[in-house]
Amino acid sequence: MNRRAFVFSAAVASGLPSFNALGEVADATQAVEKIVGNKNVSRGRVTLVIPPLVENGNLVTMKVSVESPMTKDDYVQAIHIVAEGNPLPNVVSFYLSSRSGRAVITTRIRLGDSQRVRAIAHMSDGSFWQGDASTLVTIAACAEV
Amino acid sequence: MGKTSRTLVTMPASAKKGDIIEIRIIVQHDMESGFRHTETGQRVPRDIIRDFLCTYNDVEVFRVELHPGMGANPMIIFTTVATESGTLEFKWTGDDGYASSTTSQLLVT
Amino acid sequence: MSDQNAEMTFIAKVFVCCGICALVVVGALAKADPVGNERQSSYELMSADTKAMQDDPLLNPANFAVLDGRALWQEATGTNKIACAACHGEAKVSMKGVAASFPKLSTSRTGGRSLLNLGGRINQCRTEHQGAAPLALESKPLLSLSAFVSTQSKGMPITVERHASNASHLEAGERLFNLRLGQLNLSCAQCHAERPGQKLAGNLIPQAHPTAYPIYRLEWQSVGSLERRLRNCLTGVRAEPFAFGSKELLELELFLAWRARGMPLESPGVRP
Repeated sequence: MNRRAFVFSAAVASGLPSFNALGEVADATQAVEKIVGNKNVSRGRVTLVIPPLVENGNLVTMKVSVESPMTKDDYVQAIHIVAEGNPLPNVVSFYLSSRSGRAVITTRIRLGDSQRVRAIAHMSDGSFWQGDASTLVTIAACAEV
Repeated sequence: MGKTSRTLVTMPASAKKGDIIEIRIIVQHDMESGFRHTETGQRVPRDIIRDFLCTYNDVEVFRVELHPGMGANPMIIFTTVATESGTLEFKWTGDDGYASSTTSQLLVT
Repeated sequence: MSDQNAEMTFIAKVFVCCGICALVVVGALAKADPVGNERQSSYELMSADTKAMQDDPLLNPANFAVLDGRALWQEATGTNKIACAACHGEAKVSMKGVAASFPKLSTSRTGGRSLLNLGGRINQCRTEHQGAAPLALESKPLLSLSAFVSTQSKGMPITVERHASNASHLEAGERLFNLRLGQLNLSCAQCHAERPGQKLAGNLIPQAHPTAYPIYRLEWQSVGSLERRLRNCLTGVRAEPFAFGSKELLELELFLAWRARGMPLESPGVRP
């Protein structure tokens, strides 16, 4: 039985939000480690907004914002989006500059399953901050197969 | 020999110096993830846009690395500060020689 | 093509079946098919994000199909080397209201009358006036032209009515709508006429009015026709889907359009 069916049936049976197989969370943790190296990641300053219930995981609108003055001396240099429940945890990386004005980005991503998505911001001073959002992804009715 | 497709940008035509302008861009691309299979069980190979670059009078102001988890017809809304009049250029590059671009003029007063 | 996520395994299928059976057996009270003002586009059932995706042309993934269609409209083609635009001029004038009147009976050059949907009518134009080969059903160019023509009727009411000439087709379509099909032995009516607004495995059941076609279905990650969607429904009840362009699908499309008469077209739509 594949992970997706197990998660689906567990969610339906338990009525609780589904959880991710440990394997994929481990992949996501590794992906984050590759981004931050041996630096600490502080919680805060980063807000990730994803609808709590998604009709279809193929196209999910997400918005990430990072508190930052965005000046030449203090700005967000990158924001990395990591999806704990996707077959590939790295979804997208945004590279901003002191000319960005705001660290607010909206885009549309794919979510393979209900999961937690993490946004990791890399500041100009080298520090890392993170925020996350969890969402339930429903399966479309009456699909092709 | 490269593939290309449409990319559409929406941003103001003019702004005051120091204003933060919002830029919305979308590009026509299936972003074949490499995880789909045909009815006969063959994997459909990955074929995605990998990079997006926004330059402002030839200076990079914003860049994106895309992975298969980005949705089809990639759409990004971001901002930049209006510093001087000129040209903003938006370039997408990806697998199989894919490249597309568009430009927009900005008048800064 | 099957997406790995849509590889609905046995366990998942069992749950969908259980969901459907629960509806039918335990079931809330079956109601009559909504009519008049009780009718509602499936747009209303979507999340705010998905509605916004449909409403804004920059965000609507089907917009690219419309732009592709506009380019094809102007492209000279066929042995007669003639573009749609050469006869029809500006689509926003000549095609106004056209998509909203399909499916309908059309007379061919040879004098025969057949029931056609918009794609079929486009192909008839291609073969008879442009000297071009018909576009493959559900192909990107045909869907693009359909999207372009359909959006010229955006906001206009569907005008399919019952006539003596289409009555037999309409009745056949209605019979099909009410016919139990597939391993799950369910009719369209049981979900869409009697139980719209109730849930099926986590999704809200729509009334199934074809007000937005062609649509960008998020599940497909591409633009598709009503026929493609109907085939998905048939797969949903575990019936062998009717072929694209089949009499059964065309008559069902006719019935659905007639059932939705007066409702405004939203094409091109976005649906989950």
